Amino acid sequence: MLLIRPLQDKDLDDLYTMALNAGKGLTTLPADRELLARKIDHARETFSQRCAPEAGLYLFALEDTESGRAVGISGIQARVGLDEVFYNYRLSLTVNASRELDVHVRTPTLHLSNDMTDTSEICSLLLSDDYKGGGNGLLLSRCRFMYLDEFRKHFSEKVFAEMRGVSDEAGRSPLWDALGCKFFDMPFSEADTLSGLGNKSFIAELMPKYPIYLPMLPDSARSVIGRVHQNTAPALKMLQAEGFNFNGLVDIFDGGPVVEAFIHNIRTVRESINRYVLVTHKSMDLDVPPAERVMVSNRAFRDFRVTTLPASCIGPDTVSLPEDVARALQVESGDSVRLAPLKEGSVRPTHGGGANGMSDLSGRGRPHRSHSSWD
Amino acid sequence: MWLVRPARPDDLDQILDIAGEQGARLSSTLPKQREAMARKIEHSCRSFEGQATEDAPARFLFVLEEIDSGNIMGTAGIDARAGNGQPFYNYRRDALIHASHELGVSRRVEVLYPSHGLTDQSLLCGLTIKPELQGTDAFELLSRSRILFMAEHRGWFHARTVVEIQGVQDDDGHVPFWDSLGRHFFNMDFQTADQYSGILSKTFIAELMPPNPIYVTLLSPAAQAALGQPHTLTVPNLELLQREGFQAGCYLDIFDAGPVLEARTDSLRTLVTSHRKDLHGSHDESGETCLISAGEGREFRCTLTTVTESLEETLKVPVQTWQRLNRSAGDTVRIAPL
Repeated sequence: MLLIRPLQDKDLDDLYTMALNAGKGLTTLPADRELLARKIDHARETFSQRCAPEAGLYLFALEDTESGRAVGISGIQARVGLDEVFYNYRLSLTVNASRELDVHVRTPTLHLSNDMTDTSEICSLLLSDDYKGGGNGLLLSRCRFMYLDEFRKHFSEKVFAEMRGVSDEAGRSPLWDALGCKFFDMPFSEADTLSGLGNKSFIAELMPKYPIYLPMLPDSARSVIGRVHQNTAPALKMLQAEGFNFNGLVDIFDGGPVVEAFIHNIRTVRESINRYVLVTHKSMDLDVPPAERVMVSNRAFRDFRVTTLPASCIGPDTVSLPEDVARALQVESGDSVRLAPLKEGSVRPTHGGGANGMSDLSGRGRPHRSHSSWD
Repeated sequence: MWLVRPARPDDLDQILDIAGEQGARLSSTLPKQREAMARKIEHSCRSFEGQATEDAPARFLFVLEEIDSGNIMGTAGIDARAGNGQPFYNYRRDALIHASHELGVSRRVEVLYPSHGLTDQSLLCGLTIKPELQGTDAFELLSRSRILFMAEHRGWFHARTVVEIQGVQDDDGHVPFWDSLGRHFFNMDFQTADQYSGILSKTFIAELMPPNPIYVTLLSPAAQAALGQPHTLTVPNLELLQREGFQAGCYLDIFDAGPVLEARTDSLRTLVTSHRKDLHGSHDESGETCLISAGEGREFRCTLTTVTESLEETLKVPVQTWQRLNRSAGDTVRIAPL
């Protein structure tokens, strides 16, 4: 069984191996044991509420329960830009117009901004190659939305993700070469590594503060602004399916887009429902295709756990959990759990009428929500 | 023999001919359109009569006349207040240090800031001359006569005087700085923009330029190389102005990045070395050649003359010089060494 749970000290070796294998491009998780250990510490402090809520770093591990190994990681940073300055470029427009001159020229312009300050960010997603496919990536990413929804007061109303921008096989970024490099004489890969080590805002302070008029940059650089690296295209698609949209901000180094969504609009959040647990001793076939599975989470802040099970387990008021699933989720009969579809456009858990109901959920179908302010 | 005098409405055709001969300029120069030029001459006449207003400050236009033929061979101007009541646009070339203590990195970043800092200073402008007269005494007369005029009418002018020097333009007419910057915001080449600047105003065009500072490092290499560099054709003029005491500072033309020269008006060499004297006759035509001017406002004349004798109060020059200046014995004139 694959299970989402908070990242723990024992995951350090697995995490380090994953970071090593990921190579370049994953700036938030560099292969640096000390730094990773600090991150794990930070996450533990966060889940045990020993650090200020806004300073929280929520890191989840995807554990293969058979081996006990962490095979994936994903995270949420409660707020960005608190103790350092969080920079983006805003892609905006400057219009030059004069009737007398018959001129109407639109000039795309990059403005340095700190607009994402105080916003929650989903980050640090990494999955071992061996576990790619079968909906594992979806679980790893989407479990975070269930957490965000469950504990909204710990997060901002909006959540965003920075998508990796375009760079070539040699690790060269066209935007960096045309812009950043002129102000901070260093190859992109090095700057990227430095920023992973927590120096991003320092580098940003060396970057241009005044607006950059795009026509002054070469075509190669202009064409990658707001575009993602080809390896990131699936992740972008997944987030778009959740309701995330490009918000006009791009990374100051590689021009990768920032996508954002209001938490209450995220599809996983909108389509999630609560059920009471009914632990069953009947054996059932858990191995169904991703499209027929749903995510199921407990509702614990400290020891949040998510796994998947067939949508057919969902009843009108209850959900049948095999013993081992219940144990993994640390729930018992009568506890409330939350359910959400794993894949978009597939079965949706409904409050009535059987397991594979495709009917839309409506607000009234969610009687067990613990909080009512949003629905 | 040469005479510099205020432009008159009947000079229009000849001035237009000269204006047409100069290449695209966009800056502080003569309009090439007939109507615009006629208005300019008209305004100049009012300015010489002291009738300039707050809204339309004085702009003086002088011509270089070949006395024997009556031909106009060049023009020169002074705008009493740069910008002529509107903002006067330049780039100020400056530097920022982008430094990070944490990373131990420090970097000098050159920036062009849009600036109105020179607005209302006095501006020498509109200097054009027939190519064959470049670098001659006539050229010097034309350029420096303006300073004699300023010396004579010091109250009309600002404590500081500036001159815009034409920037780099290649043989095909391309202006590297414009191509790297201005062109993006106008969607037109330098020549086209130049046409408009004659009809409208430099300020009008300048207001369409980006309002934000420009990082030098993002300009094309050719544009970077052109910053503060004079057009090769302007070098004689540049050198003359440097001898006059003008110096390039941090200001650049916003269209072609040519240098803007600056000086304290009261320190200009012609102004410092010129003296007022009483005019007396001489039949001797030998002696040192000097600049001589006389007359106020529309009566202003300036020419070259030989000086037989220059004493404390009196100056002896050939009588022909009197005639050129429209003066007679005992009148006050101003004299400066060539």
